[in-house]
Amino acid sequence: MKTLLVTCVLTTAALAADQATLDRGKKEEGRVCLPCHSLRLIHSQRLSKTTWNKELDKMAGWGAKYQDRDALLEYLVSNFGDDKPPAPPAMSLDGSSAKPK
Amino acid sequence: MHSTRRDLFVTLFSAAAASQLARGQDEPVAIPGKRPMIVHNDRPEDIETPVRYFDSWITPNDAFFVRQHIPRPAPIDRGGYRLTVNGMVSKPVQLTLDDLRKLPQYTIPATIECTGNGRGFYTPKVPGIQWLRGAIGNAEWRGPRVSDVLKMAGADASAAYIETDGADVGLASTPDFVRSTPMSKALHPATILALSMNGQTPDIHGFPVRLIVPGWDGTSSVKWVIRISVAAQPNNGFFMNPGYRYPKYSLPPGTPAKPAELEVIEGMPVKSSITSPEDQARLPIGAIPIRGFAWAGEQAIERVEVSTDGGSRWRDAELSSPKLPFAWRLFHLDWQPSDPGYYTILSRATDSAGRVQPFVAAWNPSGYLYNAVDRVGVTVERPA
Repeated sequence: MKTLLVTCVLTTAALAADQATLDRGKKEEGRVCLPCHSLRLIHSQRLSKTTWNKELDKMAGWGAKYQDRDALLEYLVSNFGDDKPPAPPAMSLDGSSAKPK
Repeated sequence: MHSTRRDLFVTLFSAAAASQLARGQDEPVAIPGKRPMIVHNDRPEDIETPVRYFDSWITPNDAFFVRQHIPRPAPIDRGGYRLTVNGMVSKPVQLTLDDLRKLPQYTIPATIECTGNGRGFYTPKVPGIQWLRGAIGNAEWRGPRVSDVLKMAGADASAAYIETDGADVGLASTPDFVRSTPMSKALHPATILALSMNGQTPDIHGFPVRLIVPGWDGTSSVKWVIRISVAAQPNNGFFMNPGYRYPKYSLPPGTPAKPAELEVIEGMPVKSSITSPEDQARLPIGAIPIRGFAWAGEQAIERVEVSTDGGSRWRDAELSSPKLPFAWRLFHLDWQPSDPGYYTILSRATDSAGRVQPFVAAWNPSGYLYNAVDRVGVTVERPA
């Protein structure tokens, strides 16, 4: 009984930690990625952990300054991993009557 | 000057980012000058043409795909515009738009296809925009020949390359978009500086001047051209190396390439795409036209075959537009299924050099040049 209780507490703690990490990852995404491009560019892809990690390296080379890189990687893999179903296509609204700036 | 411009862009972009956060990051947006398009990235714009718009030989400007590596430059003033031609030349020049308009003008029908069009079909998945069929379009480009512009500056005929820079600049430490073109291709009579696209200003497609390198991958056709430098060596920036390179030898899917075994992409492969019916459509039994387009880079399309039974039997489709290098041809086949059921429709193109579209596109780490036989599945139903 005691073991079960400890296990439950530990499991809950682990899940809570995971959720907190994912929340931190999402915040990091907004802080680091959004200044240069929309998040659709990220959310439309489905990549393995290794490949996401390489993308983070590439973006670091292009000026991304991470404060919470591990959390960002966890967030990307957990939401946009290659085991996830493909992203539904996003359509833009009709802008054909607006003159391009 | 360069860094001031860059700082200004970063400031503008941070403001755009803040407003994007405030209004919710994935809300629908309108892209000025465009009908509803498939959006992969709205800032900068990476937008794909839905296949239902591909029903004409010329792709209208308001339906033409857009690929921006870095943000568009600030709007360029017609009067203040200058094209610098320098490097290995006897007299460096700065040309105005009027100077370019005074040269003989040529109209070149040419298909532009993003190097990564079809990347989303590769398995295993590779990073980059997950384009399917629509990062491609066919337009009539008009403007002076690059060879005439080079003559004005007295370009050294022995130089091996031209280097072309657009007015766009990278954000943060992202690289500037610069591309090199071998002199033999630059001097080709169909290689032009387009001042118009389908009779209109090119707008988001590179106003006021876009380099058009017919038959080569889309990234070769630099937008917002402000400088052409004649050079002995190719530019070695990111967008020439390692960007836009393809393995010399095919790789097992999912494995990295050796940088020394990558080469610059030039002419595009042979390819056809089915634009109607759409994949997974449900259609009433009756006459069902099968339509699409085919192109082959610097070659012309000779033949397109279509199968409606997964590749067991093939029929020649009708080709309805002129046989030209650089520009796609439209194909169609009138199909009348006699039974309801699920059908797998395939299309396969052959070009004037005898190249045939393969069943399996060669996987590569950047997901370039996808050209496998196209495939859509449709359900044919009897009316209830």
